[in-house]
Amino acid sequence: MNSQQSFIEVNNLQKSYGQGLVQVIKGLSLSMNNKDRVVVIGPSGGGKSTLLRCVMGLEQIDSGSVSLEGKPYVSRSAGDRQTTIDKTVRSSIGMVFQSYTLFPHLTVMQNLTLAPVKSRGVTKAVAIERARGLLERFGLSAKANEYPNRLSGGQKQRVAIARALMLDPKLMLFDEVTSALDPELVSEVEQMIIGLAENGLPMMIVTHDMWFARRVATRVIFCAEGVIQEDAPPDEFFENPKNKRTRDFIENVLHAR
Amino acid sequence: MQDLDFYFAFASGHQLLDGLKVTLYLTFWSNVIGLTCGFLLAMVGVSPIRPLRWLYTCYIEIFRCTPILLQIVWFFFCVPILFNVYWSGEFLGLLILGLNLTAFNAEAYRASIQAIPPAHHDAAIALGLGSRVTALHVIMPQAALNAMPVLVTNAIGAFQQSALVALVGVADLMYQGKLLSTQTYRPIEAYTSVAIIYLVISVVFGQIAGFFERRNELYR
Repeated sequence: MNSQQSFIEVNNLQKSYGQGLVQVIKGLSLSMNNKDRVVVIGPSGGGKSTLLRCVMGLEQIDSGSVSLEGKPYVSRSAGDRQTTIDKTVRSSIGMVFQSYTLFPHLTVMQNLTLAPVKSRGVTKAVAIERARGLLERFGLSAKANEYPNRLSGGQKQRVAIARALMLDPKLMLFDEVTSALDPELVSEVEQMIIGLAENGLPMMIVTHDMWFARRVATRVIFCAEGVIQEDAPPDEFFENPKNKRTRDFIENVLHAR
Repeated sequence: MQDLDFYFAFASGHQLLDGLKVTLYLTFWSNVIGLTCGFLLAMVGVSPIRPLRWLYTCYIEIFRCTPILLQIVWFFFCVPILFNVYWSGEFLGLLILGLNLTAFNAEAYRASIQAIPPAHHDAAIALGLGSRVTALHVIMPQAALNAMPVLVTNAIGAFQQSALVALVGVADLMYQGKLLSTQTYRPIEAYTSVAIIYLVISVVFGQIAGFFERRNELYR
């Protein structure tokens, strides 16, 4: 695995909001290979969602870079007026968000086929075929022609994941995708992600669900005060955290449950 | 009080009908202007360029913060002098009603564009949609659906407000009603008939719009 160049490389990333007023990420570096499923946990405001948004190329950064397979696609060096983003590289990454982002005026099927048809030049017939296959695989076939407001929160998030998968992403990002869900709907979404993980899709996940983190991760990262405080395989991370800050956090969340 | 006699109103039906034609003409064209220019103006209003947004605000405030009657009177008396043009009353009427509606519709469009959750923009980027596809297939259809109820209310409002141009001599329904009243000395019958026509058309139009709105709610 050492011979392999790293899949995702975050290099000395700095990010602040409000023209440098609030520094959220303070020189964070991270490298991940294409077998990794990285779960990022940590306190609110610790920079975990911002990290994912930067990896997706949704944010202007202050400095640093993010590369995919050796190609920097988000970068900014001192003196640059703004962040340089390579949209072609970025388009091989998929992301699902905490809030529902299915487009309400389109049916499930139209949500799935919009991007392949309008931006990738896939023919409609091929896109529909592929969408049918994905919906079938995730038990959503019956919903193909429904509008999103007819779906439960869990179904919405599963469709959103399927919509991202339509584009064959090399990497999936999940930003607290179950946080807005009723508790009984969390499991169906998590099971779907676990299924994808077992198929070997590399992913980065931000979550507050420690059971899920442990189940799905190959690495767990504790992100607080804008840097990585701890980075370890899940068993080691939860059983024997090295950093005191991590230990306190785990203690707190596990007791809170 | 003399006995009410609505017969004459039917007998003068052609007169009221002529007026109604003008009213509908004014309403139709002011809405064509309002719906298209309002949309274009809203684009100016959500532009990232600050001076453009100031321009937008100026336009909106001028039309929202002065009485529409004053706008009509000002337009009818000042525009021909200032620009040395001699347009028909109907044309001046539909123009000023359209410009007024443009301001109110632009606000409706702008509000519904800005009501779209920011996460939809993020999702569009994450799906690799370009800005043209995002605008055309994600933002505009949602904005149009959101804006629909207000646009319909504004359209019915324009129909009623068009009555104000009677005051500057455009021979619309209101004007013909006034004429009928003075010709026949029967103001109660004349104005009541006119009122009923305005009422029926507004209600019918409102109901039709309501039907489409309820249908849209299926995918809200």
